[in-house]
Amino acid sequence: MSAKSAEKETDPRLTVSLAGVKLRTPLLTASGTCGYGPEYADVLDYSRLGGFTTKSVTLHERPGNEPQRIVEVQAGILNAIGLANVGLQRFIAEKIPYIREMPTRVFVNVAGYKQEDYVAVCEALDEFDCLAGLELNVSCPNVSDGLMFGTSPELLRRLIEAVRKVVRRRLLIVKLSPNVTDIAAMARAAIDGGAQVLSLINTYVGMAINAKTRRPLLANVIGGLSGPAIKPLALFNVHRVYREVAQRNNIPLIGMGGAQSVTDVIEFMLAGASAVGIGTALFVDPALPVKIADALGEYLHSNNIASASELVGKLALPQ
Amino acid sequence: MPSTLLPKRVCACDSAVIEVAHPCRDHVRVKVAVPGFPASVPGQFVELRCGQAGTNAPRERCWTDHGPTEAFETSWLTREPYLRRPFSIADRTGDEQGAQVEIISRHIGPGTAFLDVLKVGDTLNLTGPLGHGFDLPSPNRSAILVGGGVGIPPLLYMSRVLAAEKHRGAHLVLGAMSRDLFPVTCSESPAEDGRPRRCLQLPGGAPYAATVTTDDGTIGLRGRVTDGWQRLADREQLSDPIVYACGPSAMLRGVAVLTRSLGWDCQLCIERNMGCGMGTCLSCVTRVRDESRPAGWRWALACSEGPVFDRDLLVEEWDHAAR
Ligand SMILES: Cc1cc2nc3c(=O)[nH]c(=O)nc-3n(C[C@H](O)[C@H](O)[C@H](O)COP(=O)(O)OP(=O)(O)OC[C@H]3O[C@@H](n4cnc5c(N)ncnc54)[C@H](O)[C@@H]3O)c2cc1C
Ligand SMILES: Cc1cc2nc3c(=O)[nH]c(=O)nc-3n(C[C@H](O)[C@H](O)[C@H](O)COP(=O)(O)O)c2cc1C
Ligand code: FES
Repeated sequence: MSAKSAEKETDPRLTVSLAGVKLRTPLLTASGTCGYGPEYADVLDYSRLGGFTTKSVTLHERPGNEPQRIVEVQAGILNAIGLANVGLQRFIAEKIPYIREMPTRVFVNVAGYKQEDYVAVCEALDEFDCLAGLELNVSCPNVSDGLMFGTSPELLRRLIEAVRKVVRRRLLIVKLSPNVTDIAAMARAAIDGGAQVLSLINTYVGMAINAKTRRPLLANVIGGLSGPAIKPLALFNVHRVYREVAQRNNIPLIGMGGAQSVTDVIEFMLAGASAVGIGTALFVDPALPVKIADALGEYLHSNNIASASELVGKLALPQ
Repeated sequence: MPSTLLPKRVCACDSAVIEVAHPCRDHVRVKVAVPGFPASVPGQFVELRCGQAGTNAPRERCWTDHGPTEAFETSWLTREPYLRRPFSIADRTGDEQGAQVEIISRHIGPGTAFLDVLKVGDTLNLTGPLGHGFDLPSPNRSAILVGGGVGIPPLLYMSRVLAAEKHRGAHLVLGAMSRDLFPVTCSESPAEDGRPRRCLQLPGGAPYAATVTTDDGTIGLRGRVTDGWQRLADREQLSDPIVYACGPSAMLRGVAVLTRSLGWDCQLCIERNMGCGMGTCLSCVTRVRDESRPAGWRWALACSEGPVFDRDLLVEEWDHAAR
């Protein structure tokens, strides 16, 4: 199916815009839960997806952590994959040719351990017209001082400023970490640095212990919590960033964290998200973003709502 | 869209449970009708949704050693399965239109507890077939199919496929810790010497010849599958057979060492913790040899490159065992 014919089929009510980039539906895949594209090609119809976000790409290839890398916990999972990825060179040689043919907006998630690494990867990827945008994963420790880029407003602002200089043609998205005391301050720093869109949230740090063996279940000891367990926390973060920072700066948000139903997606949009990422739930059903978009279309239709974007930020707060 | 090289799969497909049996204390055999289930090979697996919000959360089994006892368990507070659970295809009949797929599950936790209480008429949500299965042997080559414990199901499927192809010279060697953990009904106890007899009442009713071993001797030969199979090899004077094995990692290492010393080819079906079963979460890694890498190995995904690998590729099962 060509992208054109699909666009006709999609309910125009579902179209949303992220800082000028039109998405066919508000549903995106979240980084690290959908590979680079080919993995779900036979089960997820990309021509009916709002956008696809790749696994994090770093400057150099990374093998990732020792197993066990994933543990199931109540209503979610902990992961410590260790940013395993093919690295920039192989990404361009092996993955871009496929991405070029994908009938959806593709966002590449970029990670790094040094400011220069982010800049090098973003500069190289800015060249590719098949990419709609770059999403910076700032939940990585900076090798020079061990601080996570996403936990220090100053570090974050400098990083985004440096990246902004080399990203001229792609949408620049910054993905916030929730492992901070003041996420609104991080949002402000990212916008000051030049972020055009914010996505939130990445995973919460957590751990799991086997009481029988007295050992941590993840080889890495700690990992990132995702899935329905974090949805109320994610909603709060989106709500807060929207009210305190994004709305007045006119910066669209991509909400994510445990979303897995059309109701969840509507909740994220009411809290202030213009688009919603589906992550962990893809492991249970990769076709979910399309199923949810269909249900959202029906919801808008039966409630006489002309456009999904009318939901954004429409939370009815007590007076 | 470029055509994809990946095999086709059905995804999150609601399937009707059409048969349920409990071949032993800890196992349940479930047969489902799966509309549109694509062609599959032995060694491939399916991912099952084991429970849904709203259904009763199954109880966790009490700990065997020093854990809290039954009295501490609160069935309404146990973990509810979220991710799908991987299960080897234990049999598959019918073409794509009218496929029937069987799995055999050992009850170990909340996900498998859900399978344990399924009834005919229930719905099971299934994704598959997934992964790369066994390479079938050429028609005249003798094959030894070795299954231990929860590793038995894929070998049952393999033996069924080989029988359907009128393959001569396939030998089934199955082992478990004890009768209570042996997931196949024996219609007649195998002889003490482990000589294969028409003894296994396999799903579908056809009796199959097999050598059976149990660690405690409660059925078949007392000992390990590798013991059972050495006797078989001596007796049958097999030349250049290929060995297909699935089971606990200690057993796989044993099989790897033995086949290597005999100079026999061998394919191993391994189990790894899986998140997605489809190559996206990158959790199911195992070390495989790769001379093109500086370290001499790389991570391979058991869910998509495997779960079946050539013995010589697997660093953990092969190299470690050789030490
Ligand atoms: C390719 C493959 C084929 C399998 N085939 C069979 C089969 O035919 N019959 C059978 O009884 N079992 C099989 N297993 C093991 C089966 O998947 C686990 O026993 C089951 O997932 C346990 O779920 P639980 O909720 O009952 O237990 P829990 O221990 O509570 O499960 C918690 C988590 O750990 C994972 N897990 C636990 N044990 C294993 C294991 N041994 N391997 C991989 N993941 C595990 C679960 O998937 C789940 O995510 C297979 C595993 C793999 C990887
Ligand atoms: C297995 C796994 C791998 C992930 N890898 C990445 C990654 O490489 N880069 C990134 O920015 N986020 C990564 N994430 C975080 C998700 O993109 C998402 O922000 C988070 O999981 C919350 O959404 P969810 O609850 O819908 O999964 C990963 C999540 C999981 C579960
Ligand atoms: S189980 Fe997710 S990559 Fe293999």
